Amino acid sequence: MFSIFLRAGLAFGGGLGILAVLEEELVDKRRAVTKEEFLTIYGIGRIVPSGTMTALAVAYGYKFGGLPGTVIALAALSLPVFVLTIALTIAYHYLRNSRLFDLLPVTIIPAALALIVVAALKLGKDVFRPSRELILAGVAFALALFLRLNPALILLAGGVVGAFAWQKVEEESGSKPKESGK
Amino acid sequence: MSLWKLALLIALFNVMTFGNGPVMIPLLQTHLVEGAHVLTEDQLLYAFTIARVTPGQANFYVASIGYMLYGMPGAIVTTLAIILPGYIMIPLLHGLEHLRESRWIKGFTKGLTVTSVGLILAAVVQIARGTLTQPIAWIILVATLVMTQLLKWNIVVALPVASCLGLLLKWLL
Repeated sequence: MFSIFLRAGLAFGGGLGILAVLEEELVDKRRAVTKEEFLTIYGIGRIVPSGTMTALAVAYGYKFGGLPGTVIALAALSLPVFVLTIALTIAYHYLRNSRLFDLLPVTIIPAALALIVVAALKLGKDVFRPSRELILAGVAFALALFLRLNPALILLAGGVVGAFAWQKVEEESGSKPKESGK
Repeated sequence: MSLWKLALLIALFNVMTFGNGPVMIPLLQTHLVEGAHVLTEDQLLYAFTIARVTPGQANFYVASIGYMLYGMPGAIVTTLAIILPGYIMIPLLHGLEHLRESRWIKGFTKGLTVTSVGLILAAVVQIARGTLTQPIAWIILVATLVMTQLLKWNIVVALPVASCLGLLLKWLL
């Protein structure tokens, strides 16, 4: 269990990368889970408010090892990203005290901002065309930027609007999981 | 801001955004950068960059923020704050899975996603005002967008190339 989730935790590409490793290990190689069950657990994991992959680690940890299993799976999945994150944060502290720090505003900082734009574009694949989606996103943009309303409130309001507006959403991602594990 | 308040805020934001890393950016920007002034825009962007270049779950950059503010205890507490809600999975596995089929929840998450696109872009504009003070920075922003969107380069390649371009321009100009 530890080694499967450690391998999953080393996968790049966020949710989809991790999902691919888990599917290969649990469904194809070990036949511990059927393909159908795998998809069902993924579907449930997507509505768990912790990040889908964290939820999957809890699910499979619990399925194969009870509560201790969840701890093992979570630890293995999270170890690589946690260690790397801390190491890179420590690097930032060293950078801060060096002359290189003055170069951040023309290198990593603007690039990071671009990556946030990319993330928004990816989330909004079906937003950027004339649609109700575009209106809701545009209203949220204006409320946050010009009226300076709290984004947490806007987000919740958007969810409630969506619950009424998209009652008949067609399941467009049944077989092709979207990148919600990100 | 105490460590516990930070953990509570992060737990709340993570639950609200269903653990989506990028969607948390506007929330963190408003509360930690503008509101409480405990984090700079540069620190937030650096933490987000870490999330993009590391393997694993994409919302783990909160551990970087935790570390910046409170060292190792901060990193551990913020990580637990985003992991523990995962345990909701266990009751869901025990027969509540029909929730997944609920049209209300589907509509709600769709509304959340769509709204977050607007919010993230608004946060980008706000952050850009504070951080893109040199013309080179704008060039690097556009260059990174071109590399990742038009040329479809992997982030792990685009980031160092963009950074080197920034260094080169700084050196030339």
